[in-house]
Amino acid sequence: MAFLKILFDNLREGPATEAFPFGEAATPDAYRGKVTFDETNCVGCNMCEHVCAGGAIRFSEKEDGLHFLIWHNTCISCGLCAHYCPTKAIKLSNDWHLSHLQEEKYEQVDHAVVPYRHCTSCGERLQPGGPMLHQLAFKGTNPRSQRLMNMCPDCRRKASYSGEAL
Amino acid sequence: MKSFDMPVGPLHLSLEEPMYFRIDVEGEEVAGIEITAGHVHRGIEYLTAKRNIYQNLALIERVCSLCSNSHPQAYCMGLEKIAGIEVPERAQYLRVIADEIKRAASNMFNVAILAHIVGFESLFMHVMEAREIMQDTKETVFGNRMDLAANVIGGVKFDIAEDRIAYVIAQLNKLEPILVKEIIPLYETNSSILSRTRGVGLINRDQCIDYGLMGPVARGSGYAYDVRTAAPYAVYDRLDVEVITYPDGDVWSRAMVRLKEVVEAIRLMRLCLRELPEGPLTAGPLPFIPAGEAITKVEAPRGELIYYLKTDGTDIPARVKWRVPTYMNWDALEVMMVGGRISDIPLIVNSIDPCISCTER
Repeated sequence: MAFLKILFDNLREGPATEAFPFGEAATPDAYRGKVTFDETNCVGCNMCEHVCAGGAIRFSEKEDGLHFLIWHNTCISCGLCAHYCPTKAIKLSNDWHLSHLQEEKYEQVDHAVVPYRHCTSCGERLQPGGPMLHQLAFKGTNPRSQRLMNMCPDCRRKASYSGEAL
Repeated sequence: MKSFDMPVGPLHLSLEEPMYFRIDVEGEEVAGIEITAGHVHRGIEYLTAKRNIYQNLALIERVCSLCSNSHPQAYCMGLEKIAGIEVPERAQYLRVIADEIKRAASNMFNVAILAHIVGFESLFMHVMEAREIMQDTKETVFGNRMDLAANVIGGVKFDIAEDRIAYVIAQLNKLEPILVKEIIPLYETNSSILSRTRGVGLINRDQCIDYGLMGPVARGSGYAYDVRTAAPYAVYDRLDVEVITYPDGDVWSRAMVRLKEVVEAIRLMRLCLRELPEGPLTAGPLPFIPAGEAITKVEAPRGELIYYLKTDGTDIPARVKWRVPTYMNWDALEVMMVGGRISDIPLIVNSIDPCISCTER
């Protein structure tokens, strides 16, 4: 008999389920959904690839830069990549609208190129991420470090030694 | 009386997971039972030795969805023990919150299934709807309804800021009255529930100790063993956990232990949110794990979960081995079922809250 009251209350309150797909389904901000990647913040440390449990993230070194590839269908949304990313270039958005047609299953890929830097003095190729790493390591930059950070180690040594970077 | 063998499983309408029993039946009565395991073996222990310690965090979490926080927690505790990592206090409190929120949802799920097996579908839906409050909380705080991904080596990777604390407390305030004023009294007094569950699937305290039973099954027989008080981890030693026991050792007692543990979990979460200290969430970004061995144990929703870890100085573990509570609880089914009726088999199986995906990983 005690249950009749619960039934009556439930009847009065109406459906407890969300109206999706005819209405919006509430999605919390912290929901772990589709991975987003910001190539301007990436420093090419490859940690996200190392920790990726499903092997969804791949980095490869090409002529024009580091090629980043994420297979969204292999991603398990564990968030380890975002946790271990030092510059938070890789993040999990709360977008969970990942359903697609069977024939589109190999197209669920995002690709980005992280460009190399080039030494301002000799033009040699450098790994990406100077300003971001400076921000992490020294909590900021000054005019001298800004001049030095886009040089290769050899040119930087020469510049420091000759005093031209001062 | 005519006796015959009756196979139940591996896929059976009345079972929630693939289990295979050969039941020796005399008339309506169960005379003997033989259990065959291994139908959902996936070789996960082997896979852990093929992945690095970070990838294993996600793999181990997916051993089982209902105790999916206990596994990574025991695993992280093992690595932290080997490497001598001191987990920050705030992370310890947050780990307890993650643990208890999973316990609350897992126990309510099992108790709801009990109502479903009894045939009381509207009560099943009511308990599941109440459980949904916890599911929504998990989704909002951790980002997923089942796999919280809360633990990393040396800490946690989620935070509960001030506005979230208020939200979680509001959710707990929503759940507690439904649980205490509606659900628990229904399970205590409803005649459909009582007539199917009282005096069914009996096991006494001594048999529990003989079989090495853990968790709510043992506590439902009056054996007050709980890892949270016997060998406290995280900050359980400061929380004064109440170990809930019932004396009778039947299906009903085990369900009541689970329901009362949800109330206790709510109290522990409130306490943790109140005491939550300021500080970092992890001990540092990248730990070095030297060669070593460790054994850790945590109280999963089903009982004591033991992890053994062996590392060799690389970031791929040499061996990860775990023992889950369902393994022993499962064996004790022969005590609970023999002498019972055929119609009670699903109820008794459900009462140990079997987690076959953990047991047969």
